[in-house]
Amino acid sequence: MNVLNFEIITPEKVLVREEVDMVEAKGVFGEFGILPGHAKFLTILEIGEVRYMKGGKTTHLATSGGFAEVLDDTVMFLLDTAELAEEIDIERAKRAEQRVEAALKEIPTDSSEYKKYELALLRAIARISIASKK
Amino acid sequence: MATLRDIKRKIGSINSTQTITRTMKMVSASKLRRAQEELEKIRNYVVKMEQLAGRVLQKTPENIHPLLAEREDIKKVLIFSISSDRGLCGAFNINIGLHVENFIAQNSSFHERIAVYLYGRKAKDYLQRRKADIVKEWLDIKKINQTIVDTIASDLIEFYTSGAFDKIYLAYTRFHSPVKQTVVFDEFLPIKTAEESQGIDYLCEPERNKIVEVLIPKYVSTKIYNALVESQTSEHAARMSAMENATSNCGEVVRYLTLIYNKRRQESITNEMMDIVGGAEALRGT
Repeated sequence: MNVLNFEIITPEKVLVREEVDMVEAKGVFGEFGILPGHAKFLTILEIGEVRYMKGGKTTHLATSGGFAEVLDDTVMFLLDTAELAEEIDIERAKRAEQRVEAALKEIPTDSSEYKKYELALLRAIARISIASKK
Repeated sequence: MATLRDIKRKIGSINSTQTITRTMKMVSASKLRRAQEELEKIRNYVVKMEQLAGRVLQKTPENIHPLLAEREDIKKVLIFSISSDRGLCGAFNINIGLHVENFIAQNSSFHERIAVYLYGRKAKDYLQRRKADIVKEWLDIKKINQTIVDTIASDLIEFYTSGAFDKIYLAYTRFHSPVKQTVVFDEFLPIKTAEESQGIDYLCEPERNKIVEVLIPKYVSTKIYNALVESQTSEHAARMSAMENATSNCGEVVRYLTLIYNKRRQESITNEMMDIVGGAEALRGT
């Protein structure tokens, strides 16, 4: 059976480099899945979850976005940051969520600061939800 | 003529210089190791990013994004040059300065204006003395971080898209090994993709233009980040070998001076003995 060569590369390190059966992630138009034999595909990943299955075992990761490329059964994710579910510090993520939520109430909704905090909130929420799946 | 005591003092001073250079060498060696690790990580990412950008942009028409379009008439040129804030690292900073200076000298007749955008105090000192046209400078940066990189990237993109400059070059030192670093002087904007990369007809989500719009700024800042880390790693490597040389030179000088010192000492003892013998002879004669 065919497999996918899957790589997750961040400026920090090469997080994943292995053969997997299936990859799922969240693109700008929603979740998508990649199986062997997928067409050549290019998309932008959103803040959220990346999953991959290998021999019936699923691994969850949290990401803050990046690019995904599928090319002849090679899947490359170039991400700004990514963390394995096991590595996430859930207490810290929860603290970040509270802090950002408090900050969001104080600043006007149309400022550029607001956007930044909103993204930070999304990242914190993604982290918390993925950490609980490990 | 140097007296015995002068020589002795000199030897002492060179010995303490050697202690300093040896310590600096060891500090640089440990900094280099850390920088090298960081460089390895970012290089992986940069290589993949370049490949991806090559594949995506090869089939993208130039007019889609302003940073892809080559201008016909190049009047104003900017050089983004990266050096270090501190010296004592051999020819590291001079090499960058010389490259930039030569480029300006050779091309000033073809362009209306050649300006420099500087990172690092040493290149600034060098180029300012030679009356270069400095647009902006970044001095005394302790640690490279994303905010600095993003600011530089948006500065350069702004310079290009606003028409203030028609071409931007990048000059930095690339790290090959602890004993080999080379100056890289490349065209930076407009973006040129590697010739050998093959364009691919992707299924794009959202459409290709939107992806290109996100990819290009990311690509620019990744390249800048990489250049800064390369330069920093090279700086430590250059300083390490400069200090290594200085340490061994100190040893040589000390050996030479010790030889002279011993000769002198012996000479003076011989002279004293001759005096005594001569004096005794003279006394016996009376």
